[in-house]
Amino acid sequence: MSSDFYTNSIVPYSGIIIKICRAYTDSQEDFEDYYQEVCLQVWRTKDQFRGESKWSTWVYRLSLNICLTMIKKKKNNRQHSVSDYVVPDATEDNHAFSDESLNLLYDAIKQLSEIDRAVILLYLEERPYREIGEIIGTSHNNIAVRITRIKERLKKILN
Amino acid sequence: MEKSIETIWKEGFLKNDALVAPKLNNLYNQKSIHLVDKFKRMYRINWIAILVFACVLIPISIFVKIPYMGIPMALMFFAVLFINRKFSKKLNKIDTTENSYQYLMSFNSWVKELVQTNTKLSRILYPYIFLSLIAGFWFGGFGENIPGNEFVANFLIEFPNSYLVFGIPLVGILIFIIGVGLLAFFGGVIGKWDINLVYGGILKKLALLISEMEDLKK
Repeated sequence: MSSDFYTNSIVPYSGIIIKICRAYTDSQEDFEDYYQEVCLQVWRTKDQFRGESKWSTWVYRLSLNICLTMIKKKKNNRQHSVSDYVVPDATEDNHAFSDESLNLLYDAIKQLSEIDRAVILLYLEERPYREIGEIIGTSHNNIAVRITRIKERLKKILN
Repeated sequence: MEKSIETIWKEGFLKNDALVAPKLNNLYNQKSIHLVDKFKRMYRINWIAILVFACVLIPISIFVKIPYMGIPMALMFFAVLFINRKFSKKLNKIDTTENSYQYLMSFNSWVKELVQTNTKLSRILYPYIFLSLIAGFWFGGFGENIPGNEFVANFLIEFPNSYLVFGIPLVGILIFIIGVGLLAFFGGVIGKWDINLVYGGILKKLALLISEMEDLKK
């Protein structure tokens, strides 16, 4: 990965990647793995980007797809080799941010289904419903209803 | 007043430490380890399967009255296992303390040596398997009538003018020699195809990983 590509095309969007990866991981180690995988895939697939959407949308889409794929792989690995699975250290502090409210919000988001997590992350990032619908693969009306439902659920968890 | 989730989100990420990206220094370590481990697992399963098959082959072939096929084939599988056991030991000696690139390069040269040796072996193995098959069906069970002799007798009734060499129709010998020759000639290709069938996916990933790492080094 050239440093130019990293500086110009990944660093400005690293916030997006971090926010998404944090929502799909429970440990710092997993977070770093997911983050690196996303960066690698962004670099690998850069030639497939045809400019039909914004680069940021491309990064969102890719980050979500990769996180979902990695979660699936992880689940499969656990099923195949239960003995190899390292139980996370219960004493490990999984709170990634110094802002306690944000940590609590992330904990609540992690209780949602994988797709709902994607929807709420995109919503909180102020992506238009149409774009969220495109990324998730559903209509924007459906997204609006879904977001209302997810927000209610989050409020319930947080309270 | 309680903050909305939108406000928590916005305010939380205003703090400087919230979006610190991890360094990309460990990019390929996990990938390399996963890939080699996956290969090792497949390699082990493959050889255990061959060992079990070779062990079961002997009693079954005696039971179904084709021991002249089963026993030589089982011996061949044991020989192949012995050769590949040496490779297994070499694989375990690859230095895991090297950096990911060196580790993968060492693994890659091990894979190349393995493919090369098995390709060479295949030129002998496939004709040998063919030979065992013919022997199995020709000689039949221990201490019983030889089916091959019955076959020759029937053949001579159909084609009484056939030329015999050591009591076997020349045409049969020619077909056998052509079969062995073809298998010896194409054995290498079949062997490579066989390896690709089992390990192709993982070897492609290995090549891709190495080329990416070389690209990154530039």
